Amino acid sequence: MIILRSDRRRLLLALGLLLLLHFTLRPRFGHPETAPDFLLLALLVFSIRSRPGAAAVMGFIIGVLGDSLTPARFGAGALAHTVVGYLTAWGRAVFFADNLMVNGAVFFAGTWLRNLIVLMASGGPGDGLMRQLLIWSPLQSLTTAISGAIFLSLFRRWLDIRLEE
Amino acid sequence: MAGTDRSLSRHDTLLLLVCVGLSVGALSAPPAVGEAIGTVVRQTILVPFLWLQKRAEESRTSRAVVENLRAAHDSAAILVQALPALEEENVRLRALLALGQRLTTPYVAAEVLHQSLPTDGRTLLLSAGSDAGVRPFDPVVSPEGLIGVVRTVEKDQSVAMTWAHPEFRASAYAVPGDVFGIVAPSVQISGSEMLLQLRGVAYRDSVPTGTAVVTSGLGGVYPPGLPVGTVISHAEEAAGWERVYLIRPAANPERVTHVLILRKPGPESVAPAFHPDSLP
Repeated sequence: MIILRSDRRRLLLALGLLLLLHFTLRPRFGHPETAPDFLLLALLVFSIRSRPGAAAVMGFIIGVLGDSLTPARFGAGALAHTVVGYLTAWGRAVFFADNLMVNGAVFFAGTWLRNLIVLMASGGPGDGLMRQLLIWSPLQSLTTAISGAIFLSLFRRWLDIRLEE
Repeated sequence: MAGTDRSLSRHDTLLLLVCVGLSVGALSAPPAVGEAIGTVVRQTILVPFLWLQKRAEESRTSRAVVENLRAAHDSAAILVQALPALEEENVRLRALLALGQRLTTPYVAAEVLHQSLPTDGRTLLLSAGSDAGVRPFDPVVSPEGLIGVVRTVEKDQSVAMTWAHPEFRASAYAVPGDVFGIVAPSVQISGSEMLLQLRGVAYRDSVPTGTAVVTSGLGGVYPPGLPVGTVISHAEEAAGWERVYLIRPAANPERVTHVLILRKPGPESVAPAFHPDSLP
């Protein structure tokens, strides 16, 4: 996918907005386990618009940022975001439709997969793993997917994403 | 054109492999390397964003609310308390304030800057650092009890390792103090909640369900009498020489929003500050 310079600027602006939302709006949700992850959303939006390699690099960078903020096991976030970014971009190129529901499902699956990889790569105590994967992760995936769908609806012109009705 | 696509595809795969390789390298590197990289990233790229998050946290559960809690008689505060989430927050802040008044150990109050990764409860980013007098190995507590210990300190923030971290250990005893053991995160896989284990209990000793477990003060990191949790069941016996008990933790690091970082805790017990009427 070729991205024009003006499109790239708008994409960067949209990603910057998501970055700001992550550090300003997210803490106001109150429940960190279920609050939408705007940083991951930025990665997924970028991945939808990019080639798999670029998405993997962006995922790695965002993962390192996440690992720096939650240094329980450095590298787990980087690995998870790299894989999720690459798979999203690859899946988008191969079979994702330009549909709001499909994009929402991608955001949901991407968040859940990211959490699964982080938990598996982090290792450690198993207590709470099922609770994380079956309760908190789906809830966080849901809020992230809803936030992503709203974001795409509002900024689809900026992101140059065609959404079928 | 097809050749270009193939080379781009190879390029994508190469980038993926490089990023995965770097991630796996970071995972297998010693923890000190990861901590050093994390500190550099937090002190450079993330500085403005963490500043924004700190301001956002403060505006949500304003520090001013903590400082003025005792004088919160105005009607606006009452209206705010009607909202369940803020009411819960207010109760926690009141409890924290009451704990601070009872503690004889010097302490620093800090906000918890929760993050989005699912491992957030294992380490916590705190809003107080060396500027406020925080040092590595300072214990971190909430009104309910032990949260963890400060691991990394920067100028205006610090990272705490909580009891949910795989490397967490603390010496503890079952009240009234005749059974000692080591507290560590539980390794059970099927559990639906995060639990702790009291390990290394002598085989001849038994601890009834419902017994409170507090820190012993051995090792010099945690002051004696800090509530750790309550025994909920007998987990296992290792080859007839030790018993392991499951403990429901007193405090949940995933839900805590404000903590106290104890500075220079001495050998005197802090139990009266947590349970003023029940513990010695």
